[in-house]
Amino acid sequence: MRWFLAGYGVLIYLFLFGPIALLVLFSFNANRYGTFPITAWTLKWYRTAIGNYQIHDALMTTLKVAAEVTVVSVVVGTCAAFPLVRSRLRFRDGIRIGFVLPIMIPGLLIGVSLLVLFTGTLHWQLSPQTAVIGQAVYTTPFVILLLAARLQGFDRALDRAAADLGANTFNRLRLVVLPLIFPAIVAAALLAFTLSIDEFIITYFLIGTQITLPIYIYTQIKFGITPEVNALASMLLAASLLALALALALPRMVRASRRAVRFGGRSRTAKAAA
Amino acid sequence: MTETAVGAQPRERTRKVGPAAASYSPFLPAVLLLGGFFLVPLGIIVCYSFWQVIDYNVVHHWTLDNYHYFFSVGAYIHTMWATVWVAVAATAIALGLAFPFAYWLSRYVPRRLRPLLLVLVVVPFWTSYLLRVYSWLTILGEKGLLNRFLQWLGITHHPVGAFLYDRPAVILVLVYLYFPFAALTLYSSIDRFDWDQLRAAMDLGATPLGAIRRILIPQIRPGLVTAVIFVFIPILGEYLTPQIVGGTGGVMIGNLVVNFFTAAEYTRGAAVSLLIAAFILLLLVVFRRSLASPEAYGG
Repeated sequence: MRWFLAGYGVLIYLFLFGPIALLVLFSFNANRYGTFPITAWTLKWYRTAIGNYQIHDALMTTLKVAAEVTVVSVVVGTCAAFPLVRSRLRFRDGIRIGFVLPIMIPGLLIGVSLLVLFTGTLHWQLSPQTAVIGQAVYTTPFVILLLAARLQGFDRALDRAAADLGANTFNRLRLVVLPLIFPAIVAAALLAFTLSIDEFIITYFLIGTQITLPIYIYTQIKFGITPEVNALASMLLAASLLALALALALPRMVRASRRAVRFGGRSRTAKAAA
Repeated sequence: MTETAVGAQPRERTRKVGPAAASYSPFLPAVLLLGGFFLVPLGIIVCYSFWQVIDYNVVHHWTLDNYHYFFSVGAYIHTMWATVWVAVAATAIALGLAFPFAYWLSRYVPRRLRPLLLVLVVVPFWTSYLLRVYSWLTILGEKGLLNRFLQWLGITHHPVGAFLYDRPAVILVLVYLYFPFAALTLYSSIDRFDWDQLRAAMDLGATPLGAIRRILIPQIRPGLVTAVIFVFIPILGEYLTPQIVGGTGGVMIGNLVVNFFTAAEYTRGAAVSLLIAAFILLLLVVFRRSLASPEAYGG
């Protein structure tokens, strides 16, 4: 049974990574249909992808939108996460579900309903900014959930100690709470950034005439598999994996470096409190 | 800032009005964002679904025409049922595949290897959704791996188009997309199970499968329900997967919504969107208990 299940586990990982691995493999293939047979190894498709001005524009738009979405959803999400875990609210489960709703409602519906609001009701011109609003509706709940989960493990005694030492709310927030949950905020920011970069359907409806990388890829896919898109896709995958690695590693690094300077940090807090 | 609210005793309630209001205030930005740009637009969509488009203008005539229209076209009703069917099939297969996997991970894999294997399940989740769908084109496409393989085996001489652009392809890709979520949710609830109970059941004469069915499954039911709703619900609103690998044979209800909106038939599109939203809300209300539990967040 044990070996049977182990073999099954291997098959599952093949299933999970096979398609992605093939995509990366074909991005190095000289065959211009982007599939088997592998005629020769080449970096040609990466060069054409990097030299493509449409991809340049799309990349710039994608990064700009993602940066704005990250700022909005981290600020809004961090504010909301605090009361969600730290006080005994009435209707807490209700509020929680309210915040989770935008995750449960398909992005498609967020996209079309905002399209109607922006163009039909408010008569706004569609632009990357309208796409930022739409994406923030979708990413903020993820930030709230992630931070709420981390805040649950937050040692409230530290906060109370600072209060006993006379620190006011603002100083406690600035010198005790925010530094302690900073790793979680970084992780939430990376999550929001990644979600934004990959988001397709909301952006598709709300961005107007400009395009992001997913929209560029989508329009190319309509004409079939191309090795250039394979190369672009591989670079995007690498970027996502880098963000994931950062999200996993950064909190640990921050914690380690803080441990080294903890003594200094503590006396600063005490001074501020005094 | 929330000190007093936390330490609140029932008899002190009258004094708590101020601090309680203050403890709600950090919600304000989120309430503005999600209220103004999530709830309000949904409300407008509700209105739209009862209005009419006349000469490309939305006219505020209250009517049920949009819903009548949807239910009068056989192809739309067929698509609606096909969507539910695809979602049921993909959810069942994803959970069916995930259960033995989670069981293996939790019971047979050494503890120090588990974090690595779990991260490997999460990794595809962090990569682009669009790219994960796209990657199947290289396998299922006309010049894809599967066709090449069959030709190489000599089973067919011409590429078979049938792998793509039909429901089975849509279900396969959906299973691929949602497997990680099913696996993680099931793992987190199976991992809390006390395996001695299973051994005890077998000592008392239960067969291994009987013990799993009667001892393990009932105890991980909340996790199972969470996995089912979190896989089933998003599939109802799928657009990209049927669009890319489904073709005309694999159309789902999300494609209808997009078709209506791109054809400027906003009110009809709104009615279809609302049918999806209403169905999802119904499911959420029915399963609200498992949503309110911390487990729902994968914790």
